[in-house]
Amino acid sequence: MEEFLIRLQESDFGVWVSSAPTLLAYPTILMLHTVGLAMVVGPAWVLDMRLLGFGARMPIEALRGAFRIMWIGFAINAATGIALFISEADEKGLKWIFWVKMASIAVALIVTSRLRRVVFGGGKVTEMVPPQAKMLAVASLALWFVAITSGRLMAYIK
Amino acid sequence: MFLGFASWLHKTPISLALQHQVAWLWPACETLHFTGLALLLGVAGMFDLRLLGFMKRVPISVVKEFMPWALAGFTLNLLTGIIFIISEPAQYFGNPTWWAKVTFLIVAALNAMIFETAYGRRAAAIPAGEDTPIALKVIAGVSLVAWLGVLWAGRMLPFLGAGVGAGL
Repeated sequence: MEEFLIRLQESDFGVWVSSAPTLLAYPTILMLHTVGLAMVVGPAWVLDMRLLGFGARMPIEALRGAFRIMWIGFAINAATGIALFISEADEKGLKWIFWVKMASIAVALIVTSRLRRVVFGGGKVTEMVPPQAKMLAVASLALWFVAITSGRLMAYIK
Repeated sequence: MFLGFASWLHKTPISLALQHQVAWLWPACETLHFTGLALLLGVAGMFDLRLLGFMKRVPISVVKEFMPWALAGFTLNLLTGIIFIISEPAQYFGNPTWWAKVTFLIVAALNAMIFETAYGRRAAAIPAGEDTPIALKVIAGVSLVAWLGVLWAGRMLPFLGAGVGAGL
C-alpha cells in the first residue's frame, strides 16, 4: 500500500501538483477545492434548513436546482481532491483522519441521493415534509460538517 | 505603519494569551471559518442567483428569509478571522494578499449596503415569476465576484505574498 502511495506521489503529475513553481499548481487546485466545498455544502445546508422548517414560505420545489450546483461542485472537488491526494498520497493516505473524511463524504452522498428520492422523487413535490426527510436533513447537516472538519484537520493530525 | 501596529498587537496580553492557547484553538477556528464560508456563500449565493433571474417562481422576499444564515456565517468568519489576526498580526498586515481580501470584503459590504438602501424595498416588492431590473443583476454579479474574490485571496494567503512581513 505504502509503496503504491509513494509511486503516486512521485509520479510526474504528483510532483507537478506539489512543487511546480507556479500558483496554478497546488495553490489554485486547493483554492478550487474550497470553491467546490461552498458549491456542495452551501446548497445542501440551505435545502436541509428548509426541510427542517426554516424559511417555510420557500416552495421546496424551487430548491430542485440546488442539486445541479451541488453536482458541479462535487465534480470540481472530486477532480481537485484526486489531484491533491496524488500530490501528497504518502502523507495523506496513511492518516486516519483522511479516511474519516472519505467515509463522511461517502455517507453524505448516500444520504443526499436518498433525500432527493424521498423529497423530489415522486414527480410532484409535496410541500409536506415527511419525517424521514427531516432525519436525512439532520444527517446531511452533520455529515458535511464532519467532512469539512476532518478535511481541515488533515493539515494538523499526524 | 501597519507593521508597527502588527508588532505592537503581537505583544499585547490578548495576543500572547491566544498564541499560548491550547494547540487546537487555531485548527478549531479554521474549521469554523470554513463552515461559515459554506453557510455564507450558500445562502448569499442563492440570493444572488435569484436576483440574476434564477428561481423566478420564488418571490425575492421569500429568498431573503434565509439571509440571517448568511449573516450568521459572516459573523462566525469575522470572529474567527479576528482571532487569527490578533494571534499572528504580521502574517496578515504584512501580506498584500490579505489586503486584497479586505478590499474584496469592502466591495462586498458596500455592494450589500447599496442594495439595502437603494433597492431593498423595491426588490422585496418583486413578486413570484417576475424578472429583476438590470441594476439588481449588476449588484448580484458584483456580490458573487466579490465573495469569490474574498475566498480566492483567503485561500491564496499562504502562497501569494506571504513572507513579505515575515520575521516581525
